[in-house]
Amino acid sequence: MKKIISLILVGLIIIGITSLTGCQKDAVYEKFTDYSFDYFDTVTTIIGYEKSKQDFDKNCDKIKGLLDEYHKLYTIYNRYDGINNLCLINSVKDSEHSELKVDQKIIDMLNFAKEMYELSDGKLNIAMGCVLSIWHNYRQDGISSPINAKLPPYESLIKANEHTDINNLIIDEKSGTVYISDPQMKLDVGAVAKGYAVEKIAEYMKQNGMDGYLLNVGGNVRAVGNRRDGKKWTIGIENPDTDDTEKTYIEYLEINDMSLVTSGSYQRFYTVDGKNYHHIIDPETLMPSDRYLSISVLCESSAYADALSTALFSMELEDGHKLIESLKDVEAMWVITNGQQIYSSKFKDYCTKE
Amino acid sequence: MLKSDGLKKVKNDLILVGVICTLSLVGFLIFKLTMKDGNRVSVSINGEEKYSYSITDNVETDIITGNNGENNNTLVIKDRKAYIKSATCPDKICVGHRPISKDGETIVCLPHKIVVSITEGK
Ligand SMILES: [Zn+2]
Repeated sequence: MKKIISLILVGLIIIGITSLTGCQKDAVYEKFTDYSFDYFDTVTTIIGYEKSKQDFDKNCDKIKGLLDEYHKLYTIYNRYDGINNLCLINSVKDSEHSELKVDQKIIDMLNFAKEMYELSDGKLNIAMGCVLSIWHNYRQDGISSPINAKLPPYESLIKANEHTDINNLIIDEKSGTVYISDPQMKLDVGAVAKGYAVEKIAEYMKQNGMDGYLLNVGGNVRAVGNRRDGKKWTIGIENPDTDDTEKTYIEYLEINDMSLVTSGSYQRFYTVDGKNYHHIIDPETLMPSDRYLSISVLCESSAYADALSTALFSMELEDGHKLIESLKDVEAMWVITNGQQIYSSKFKDYCTKE
Repeated sequence: MLKSDGLKKVKNDLILVGVICTLSLVGFLIFKLTMKDGNRVSVSINGEEKYSYSITDNVETDIITGNNGENNNTLVIKDRKAYIKSATCPDKICVGHRPISKDGETIVCLPHKIVVSITEGK
């Protein structure tokens, strides 16, 4: 009897002490935040709890060094001297020199993208570069000159879509080379590269004792390890109905060592004749898919969360729901066009009232 | 003798548990409270904090950026809320963003590399 009581007490004390050290450490660890605009064409936020600004800056420099490296390898918009990156892969034309030796980080990411293509039944296709670049150009022009905003001619999209077969991306693991056998095909890794890079950086951080950090690369949120003050991160999911001034956030999630990625049709869009056209293009219709206002995916890996949130956008709710439920420890929330929120089976376990 | 010793120990443990539970509850409450309204409005340009205001200030100010000062975002702080009233950026996402007031909230102007953030402050 006595033994049972003391066991129960020990249990209680452990719970108590964990929360107590949470309070004590609070005084020692200070919160630091860093913003940068140099990676993946978006804003990066790094938040960490450290004893001094120097400790934080030291870790930030390492994280940013890695972000810089991945950005330069994965960008399709810029070339860098001495780096065989995605932009170079896309521009190699000469069939004699078309097998390009690339960094293992590129091969791993492309293999992951192929895996996502299979998993999403082709809804996520990095070989869609030709189609996506047409939309990209029309969107950029439409944003900088709204009066002249136009939709891409459908014929041009259909024509571009003839060069989107991912099987024409040939990866030779042994020689470390990449080759596109369709000379007109282009890669656009926008839906996978950022999340994949963030996940690889999170792995590095965990191995090097940088626990308790939060990386947010353009809405790709990765909570790395457990926070040093024993608390969880609270993350609000924005209300995609931007006209609703009352309700800024539709859900608050409490997470540790997980990723949350929200893809929205409400942020990167342009307007033609009063209708908004966003940046996630359905591979079947070649048009922006208009089933959802936003989709949030919650799972440990930032790579999966990023890729799945884009793939789900082009999938029927029922199919997407089935896919998420078939994956272990992956949850999602869909906001359909009428504002209704649909949840996967355990998504709400992470929700908190605020 | 042995029996009462044991009982005493249990009693002490119970008190300890009581104190710890109360403390952690206080800690929890503080955490929840700081999730609420922030105190400072911080403006950073390309990662460097340039301006900081109290959320209780009444401010309407032009944030000038760009190599030749060609970019402008007009920041307003009013009624404990901060928002961008107008901007010369092409996408105007910062202008469309709702007013912010809670600790940790941000408004980002990507083209002008501006982050307006709400912090706990001191
Ligand atoms: Zn702006």
